[in-house]
Amino acid sequence: MNAVPANQKAPSDALVQVRGLRTRIGAKVIFDGLDLDVPRGSITAIMGPSGTGKTTLLRHLTGQLRPDAGNVIVDGEDVPKLSRHALFGLRERIGFLFQNSALLTDFSVFENVAFPLRQHARLPEELLRNIVLTKLQAVGLRGAAQLMPAELSGGMARRVALARAIVFDPMLILYDEPFVGLDPIALNQVLRLIRTLNNTLGITSIVVAHELAAIRQVADRVYLIANGTLVAQGAPDELAHQDSPWTRQFFGGEADGPVPFQYPAPDYATELGFAERAR
Amino acid sequence: MNANLRRNWFLQGIASVGDCGLFLVAVLGALPKSLRYWRETCRQVWFVGAMSLVIVMTCGLFIGMVLALQLYYTLSIFGGTAALGTVVALSLFRELGPVVTALLVAGRAGTAVTAEIGLMRATDQLDAMGMMAVDPMAYVASPRFLAGVIAMPLLACVFNAMGIFGGHLVGVTWLGLDNGTFWGNMTSTVSLQRDILDGLYKSMVFGGVVSLIAVFQGYTAPPTSEGVAYSTTRTVVFSSIVILAFDFVMTAFLT
Repeated sequence: MNAVPANQKAPSDALVQVRGLRTRIGAKVIFDGLDLDVPRGSITAIMGPSGTGKTTLLRHLTGQLRPDAGNVIVDGEDVPKLSRHALFGLRERIGFLFQNSALLTDFSVFENVAFPLRQHARLPEELLRNIVLTKLQAVGLRGAAQLMPAELSGGMARRVALARAIVFDPMLILYDEPFVGLDPIALNQVLRLIRTLNNTLGITSIVVAHELAAIRQVADRVYLIANGTLVAQGAPDELAHQDSPWTRQFFGGEADGPVPFQYPAPDYATELGFAERAR
Repeated sequence: MNANLRRNWFLQGIASVGDCGLFLVAVLGALPKSLRYWRETCRQVWFVGAMSLVIVMTCGLFIGMVLALQLYYTLSIFGGTAALGTVVALSLFRELGPVVTALLVAGRAGTAVTAEIGLMRATDQLDAMGMMAVDPMAYVASPRFLAGVIAMPLLACVFNAMGIFGGHLVGVTWLGLDNGTFWGNMTSTVSLQRDILDGLYKSMVFGGVVSLIAVFQGYTAPPTSEGVAYSTTRTVVFSSIVILAFDFVMTAFLT
């Protein structure tokens, strides 16, 4: 369940390999031949304009969504082809931090973190308690173990969700917008946790986020996705100085560019009726 | 309403019934796995059953009382008031007990189940369970379905008992019918197999139907406040219609 047996399983250095990913949701093309690799032990950021499918990519990695075509290989296993049983086996080795934390509202903080252990491991109560308290200590919330999710602030809930995500010592953690809605203190706490988990446990991390400053602090590598493909990649500082229209617009925060300001619409003058009047 | 729209509505209705049928298959398929979560099933039986006791007992009492009052008046026209206990009991066991209990449970517990699951869906809790390799069908859907099937006949028994008690209060205590006649005629006429058990079979089916609709509506609720509100309403409307329709069909077969 930790990184060591995982390393033995797949000879490749990339824990996650995506090849020729094509996905369409309704009429909208989300991915049109996306390729990317995530090296083991790295923190990789996935960035891109809203609606480009960053969260969808995370859902492909965990088998919550099946692509129309292409391979999604995680730890040597082709996720879309896995049986339900094998998929659940893989998921036990992956932690997923949801954007809204997704804590089980009926359970206390302690029980939320204990939930995966209770479901998958028959541990003596005392050992289970120690593991949960260790994880809560790691996120600084051991004292909040008996609180209910409704009593937590957004930052605290995010940290509890993180404790729950690491309770099985996963090989890979997927963070879906982990910094959204956090005050600067909570944001720094989460940043520090992501870095610490990566350094101390060797966990591979994939972070979907928009916060450039935060990503610069934490990520080893950034993939910029737009229009269904990879448009830029590299170390965060490298990428910020790359001279491509995509990176210029995204890292410079320009309102208009390859990502247009206007949502696709019919001709403005025609829609306002000016074209007919001109005739 | 134009023809296209009407056809769409019709097709959507058919598709929904089909989806619900597939959902039932998935729920039944997850039942063996859900036995691992027997604590969750017990918690749901407590929620659907014990928490509905007050409303079921109160309604049972009043329905029994009003039934006795109306029947006493009707029977007195024919000079048959001695049959009051029998008629009250048969009406309750065969018809009112299962049906009214199911309608009450749909309103009290069915809506709560739909809203709960709908909000779990909206707040990603179901996805989070899936990500923790816990099948939400086995952990959330099946225990609630099973709880409905278990709790409904028990609640119907309580409803019937309270109804007969209410009938006794009005018939014997208030209107002065002979106590021995009330009980004697009832016990000699009501059959365990034909009346009581048939009513309980109905209750089990209604329990399954109500909890299936409630869980299905919650599971498929759009993840918005409006979506959850609509789904909750649909649970009551669809449950009521299906209970009454199934009641007719089952009565026709069981009689």
